[in-house]
Amino acid sequence: MAAIMAAGIAAGLVWNAVSGRGLALRANAFLREGDAIEEIPAPEAKRRLDRGALFLDARPAEFYQLGHIPGALSLPEDDFGRAYARLEGPLHSRFDIVVYCSGFGCEASHLVARRLREKGVAAAVLLDGWPAWTGAGYPTRTGAQP
Amino acid sequence: MKALSLILAVALGAIFVYASVEKIADPRAFARIVYHYQAIGPSARLGFAPANAVAVMLPWIEALTGTLLIVGLWRREAAVVSALLLVAFLAAAGSALARGIDVENCGCFTVGGEGRRAGWRLLAEDSAMLAAALFVLAAPARGRLRDRAAAAAPAR
Repeated sequence: MAAIMAAGIAAGLVWNAVSGRGLALRANAFLREGDAIEEIPAPEAKRRLDRGALFLDARPAEFYQLGHIPGALSLPEDDFGRAYARLEGPLHSRFDIVVYCSGFGCEASHLVARRLREKGVAAAVLLDGWPAWTGAGYPTRTGAQP
Repeated sequence: MKALSLILAVALGAIFVYASVEKIADPRAFARIVYHYQAIGPSARLGFAPANAVAVMLPWIEALTGTLLIVGLWRREAAVVSALLLVAFLAAAGSALARGIDVENCGCFTVGGEGRRAGWRLLAEDSAMLAAALFVLAAPARGRLRDRAAAAAPAR
């Protein structure tokens, strides 16, 4: 039994190393090769918020209303085109943008950051998203207003 | 009983091999599905390594286990591994259900696009496969059958 497990583990590691399809074991699998998206932990995001950074909530709009980071604007990944058209002006005048989503398995923040970059807007991603923020006890706000 | 054990072993093996194919082809996509379960990270404490390691290694253990079940080499040992894997799958899906985590694609057979939801039906299917693995494990091995037949035969 141990031999089967060991052989499977070894095969997996070798395939990951040589197949060209592998992933860095310590890196976020949502990040693509060559992606230059900056990921920041919650304490760094809080520092940036205190310095006046603009936060973007990439979760669906209903989640935003249930709770969001104070001052954050809703830019749902599933409604990116319309939301971006609404926010395009302010986004292009900012260089300190942080995007977040539901954390852990959530891909929305990376997708939004990538699409923003395609449009010439640089944005960092809050590592582990909303759960990391609330878990650290940082302030939140409910409702439709930032 | 022996014939049924053989059929179950081959069927279980085929399922395991089939389940491994897409995951081996796209470990990055499978890693994202592992993240969704929120069982072994990623988190601030664990980082990405445990979930990524599972995404890289698990499909190969599935493939190897399935192949051994089909060809009949180390079949009982492979049945033990398959049972352990199924217990792990049940724990992951059950834990996600209990915590209210909606895993839209369980990552059982496909890693891209639409997949099967990690819900009660999946738990039932995994339980049935676990029962099959335990049946294969409980069935006497070929060598033991020979030994029993020899022991039962009248001495000359």
